[in-house]
Amino acid sequence: MSAPVLPVETGIPPRRAHLARYGLWQLRDYAINRGAPTLLVAALFGALPLFSLLRGLQASIERTPPRYLQLMIARHGSIELYRQSMLHELSGGFLRSFLGTVVFLGALLAMNGLVSNDRKLGHYRFLFSKPVSPLRYYGQAFLLHWAGFLLVVIALAALYGAYVEPVLTPTFVAVLASVFLMYGGVAFLMTTLVRWDWLALAASVIASQVLWDRFGASTSVLAKLLYLLPPIHRTGDLYTALVGGTALPGHTLEWIAAYGAVCLVAGLVVLRTRRLAIS
Amino acid sequence: MISLHNVGKRYRSLLGREVRALEDFTLELHAGEVFGLAGPNGAGKSTLISLLLGFLAPSEGTVRIGGLEPRRYIERNGIGYLSELVNIPPTWRVHETLHRYALLAGVPTERIAARCAEVTATLGLEEHRSKRVRQLSKGNLQRLGLAQALLCEEAVIVLDEPTHGLDPVWTQRFRDVVDALRRPDRLILIASHNLDELSRLADRVGIVDRGRLQRVVDVRASERDVTDGAPYRIVVASGEQHVLAAFPAARTLSPGEYEVRGMTLDQINAGMVSLIQRGALVNAVYPVHSALEQQFREAVGTGEELA
Repeated sequence: MSAPVLPVETGIPPRRAHLARYGLWQLRDYAINRGAPTLLVAALFGALPLFSLLRGLQASIERTPPRYLQLMIARHGSIELYRQSMLHELSGGFLRSFLGTVVFLGALLAMNGLVSNDRKLGHYRFLFSKPVSPLRYYGQAFLLHWAGFLLVVIALAALYGAYVEPVLTPTFVAVLASVFLMYGGVAFLMTTLVRWDWLALAASVIASQVLWDRFGASTSVLAKLLYLLPPIHRTGDLYTALVGGTALPGHTLEWIAAYGAVCLVAGLVVLRTRRLAIS
Repeated sequence: MISLHNVGKRYRSLLGREVRALEDFTLELHAGEVFGLAGPNGAGKSTLISLLLGFLAPSEGTVRIGGLEPRRYIERNGIGYLSELVNIPPTWRVHETLHRYALLAGVPTERIAARCAEVTATLGLEEHRSKRVRQLSKGNLQRLGLAQALLCEEAVIVLDEPTHGLDPVWTQRFRDVVDALRRPDRLILIASHNLDELSRLADRVGIVDRGRLQRVVDVRASERDVTDGAPYRIVVASGEQHVLAAFPAARTLSPGEYEVRGMTLDQINAGMVSLIQRGALVNAVYPVHSALEQQFREAVGTGEELA
C-alpha cells in the first residue's frame, strides 16, 4: 500500500510566523474562553444588585412623606428630576463597588493560566517549534485580552447607560484600562513564574490591601517596601473620582498604570530568559 | 546541522537531590541523513529532544542547530516536530488546528488552505476534519500531530515516537512519508523504541542509555557485519529429519523451525550445504536479532525490554 506523497516544494526558504493574523484566533479564544465568562459574571454581579437597588429606589420614592416629597420637588424642579438625582447617588455607590470587583475578576479571567497552562499541558511544544518567539506570542495575547476586556466593559457600560445613566466617557475607559493593566500585569508576571498563578494573584492582592491598611501611614523606612506591592488601595480613589465626575487624584492613574506596565515587562523578560519546559 | 558538545543536563528536586538526565553527550548530525535515537525508557531521549528544541537549557555543554543556539534557530526557521505526547487543546477542531499551526509555521497565506488539505489527505484525516481534538482516537491524534509537523518545508524534522499508537497500516504509511521527506538539505531525527522501524528508516542510530550516548551504529554497514555466535533461525519446508544431522546443536522451536547458537558464519554455511545435500528443502535462514538489535543489546544489556 503506497502513501500519498506530500508535494515537495523547492528549497527551504526562511520565513516568519503570521503572528498578527494568528491574533484573530487569540481574540476568538479570549471571546469564547474568557470574554463570555467575564460578561456573564459581570452581568450577574451588576444586574442582581442593580435591579434590587432600582426597585428599592422606586419604593423609597413611593414611601416618602408627602411634605418631604413636595420639598424635594421644589428643590429639584420635578419628581422626575428628584428621581434622577437619587438614581445618580445610588448609581455612584453601585459603580464604585461594581468596578472594584469586575476589573479584578476580568483581569483574573483574562490572564489566568495564559502561560502556565500551556506549560502544564504541554501546548507550548507544537506552538514554539514554529518560528515564533514566546515573548511576542504571549505579549500579543496580553494586548488582545486587554482589548477584549475593555470591549466587554464598554458593552456593559453602554447597556448601563441605556437603562440607568450614561457612564461611558474617555476617562471611564482610561481608568478601566489602567486598573486592568495593573491587575493584568501582575497576573501576567505570575503566570510566567508559577503554576498556580490565580492563587498567587489573589494572595498578592490580599497582601497588598492588608499591608497598606496596616502600615500605609507608617514613616518607617521599611514601610517604603510597600511600594513594591500593587497599589490596589488607590483604585478606590480613582473610582470615587470617576463616578463623582471630579478630577482624578494626582499621579494615582500613572502609578497604577506604571506598576502594571513594569510587571508586564518583567513577565516578558521572564519569558525571554526562562525555558518553557517544566523541569 | 545539529551539534551537541559535552552536553549534560541535571535536574534538582525540591529536597536538593540531583538527577543526571544526560551526561557528556557529544554528537554531530548532518543534513541529508535520517538519524535514529534508540534507548530504553528513562535513557534521556526526551530530555535530549527538549534540549534540541530549546525547551530546556543544558546544565553544561553546548547545543547548536545550524550554528545557532536552538531557540534562535527555531525562532528564525522553525522545525518540524512531533512530540511523544500529542498535546493540542482538546476543543480545537482538526481543520482549525492545522490552520492555526500553518499560520504560526509561516506557510504563505495564499497556500495555507491548499497545504492543510494536502497534509490532511496524506495523513488520511479528511473524514475527521470537523472533529474536535478530544474526539480523535489515539492513532488519529498521532496522525494530526504528524500532519502539523509536515505543514512546512523544514530543514530539520524531529519525530519523537512517531508511530506510537498507529496501526500497522499507518505504521507502514509513515515509513513511506519519511522516505518522501528525505532530502540532501534536510535532517530527520527519529526517536523510537522500535528498533525494527529505526533499522528500516535510519542511516545511523545513536543508542542512549543512562543519559550517555553508548554508541552510534551505521545501520547499513552493520547489516553487512557478521557477529560470530549470534543466534540464527532455520526454517525448512521438508527434510526435518536431516536438520539435527547437519546442525547437532540445533534447538527445535516448532515443527520445521530451529535455532542455532554459538556458531561462526563458516560453520552455519557448512551446515546449510550439508542440510541441502541431504535433501532438505530450506525455506529461510535469518539472524534472530537484527544487526541493530544486536548492537542495542550489547550497548544496554539484554535484560532491557525491547519493543
